Amino acid sequence: MDLSFYTQEVAPAMLRGLWVSIGLILPSAVFGLAIGILAGTLRVYGRPFWKRLSEIYGLLFRGFPLLVQLYLWYFGLPQLGIYLSPFAAAVLGFSLCSGAYHAEYVRGALRAIKQGQLQAARSLGFSRARAVYSILLPQAIRRALPGCGNELIYLIKYSSLAYMVTCIELTGEAKILASMFFKYLEVFFVVGAVYLALVSLASWGLNRLERYVSIPGFECVRR
Amino acid sequence: MTRTQPVLRLENIHKRYGDAEVLKGVSLELFKGDIKVILGPSGSGKSTLLHCINFLVSFEQGRVFLREQAINPANKPELYAYRQKIGMIFQDFNLFDHLTALENVQIGLVRVKKIPKREARERALAELSRVGLAEHVSKYPAELSGGQKQRVSIARALAMDPEVMLLDEPTSALDPELIGEVHAVIRDLAAGGMTMALVTHEIGFAGTLAREILFMENGVIIEQGPPDRILNHAQQERTREFCSKIARLHNRSQETA
Repeated sequence: MDLSFYTQEVAPAMLRGLWVSIGLILPSAVFGLAIGILAGTLRVYGRPFWKRLSEIYGLLFRGFPLLVQLYLWYFGLPQLGIYLSPFAAAVLGFSLCSGAYHAEYVRGALRAIKQGQLQAARSLGFSRARAVYSILLPQAIRRALPGCGNELIYLIKYSSLAYMVTCIELTGEAKILASMFFKYLEVFFVVGAVYLALVSLASWGLNRLERYVSIPGFECVRR
Repeated sequence: MTRTQPVLRLENIHKRYGDAEVLKGVSLELFKGDIKVILGPSGSGKSTLLHCINFLVSFEQGRVFLREQAINPANKPELYAYRQKIGMIFQDFNLFDHLTALENVQIGLVRVKKIPKREARERALAELSRVGLAEHVSKYPAELSGGQKQRVSIARALAMDPEVMLLDEPTSALDPELIGEVHAVIRDLAAGGMTMALVTHEIGFAGTLAREILFMENGVIIEQGPPDRILNHAQQERTREFCSKIARLHNRSQETA
């Protein structure tokens, strides 16, 4: 086995790619979650216009394949005179796509909360918007956490599509390296292991978070 | 006692759910320190009436007056200010599940009344002690008994300094053993001169607490008067039948208890 191939070629390429991947995943996770919470909330408690808009958003962004969405942002928008960098196009695509899925989890969690709490808040003088924001959402987000966590783990893996719009991240680096040395088996096995490590790290973190925000009545299963 | 003006007045409230007219013109006056108990069979519109009072359900016709000021529910700031003056207690407590007892009482003060957090905390602690829960302030709803939850919800309403309290079957969801602690708190409120409208099936409690009992059926108040007259010498056949049925049930459960 040629160890120097791994130390001289694979390791630096993976490291470069890893930083780009993390650079894609983190902002996409944050924006996606924010969009998802907003869209999910509007879907349940928005005025008809906003409700409809978030419905259409969910339909479009869960309906179009993610790769097609990325192509539209990167190759399609220039036709309208809008030029995005590969990185920006990827982050935009990932955020909007994962937001559509987060919205579903948040919507489900919001609907699971009994209407009585909203009534109680309104009887204290809360406006509807304030009651949703300060009473219902903190509960819904706790209940949506397992689903949203799952979506974040998906995001880690579909971030690999970024190289299709020339944003060279982990998978992109691997593709280049593998075809240069014709060592597909070795390189893609290593890159798979790197994703596995990222996913493991994320699920550990999500587990910690779930336990951290857990309160009586909202328990996660203790181990 | 000079009864110059009622604290709260309802004028000819009509409410329908689709084809069903659940309130067919209900009028009601509550004077300072008044305690009105609303009795009646399920579906008679008692609960809906309480929910109409603070506009938690909208209604087609009729008006609500606080100190002879008509409330316009389309004027949101006015509506939110009005609701602070009307404390509401629900059958199933409706505590905020993600907040401790203390935070449940405090949140309205902080978020609605914009009182500084430290001051709100003091007030919340005082209200919780008043309902006998000083030792449970940091528990979450899931850790409290039904009776304790209902007392937290009373403290939460009282913290807003309401002029009127509406209680919608406050003890219906409770074990018989826990009813007493909630009744005791409500009696304290009565002794303190709180103006109240109470929907209940606890006829014995109603009889000793109420200034006046209203009997509702099919969306109208068919009879009203002092407790003794309604419970023991009702004019309407329907009222007599209902009260004696409930009284029999009440006696039987006391015998077996």
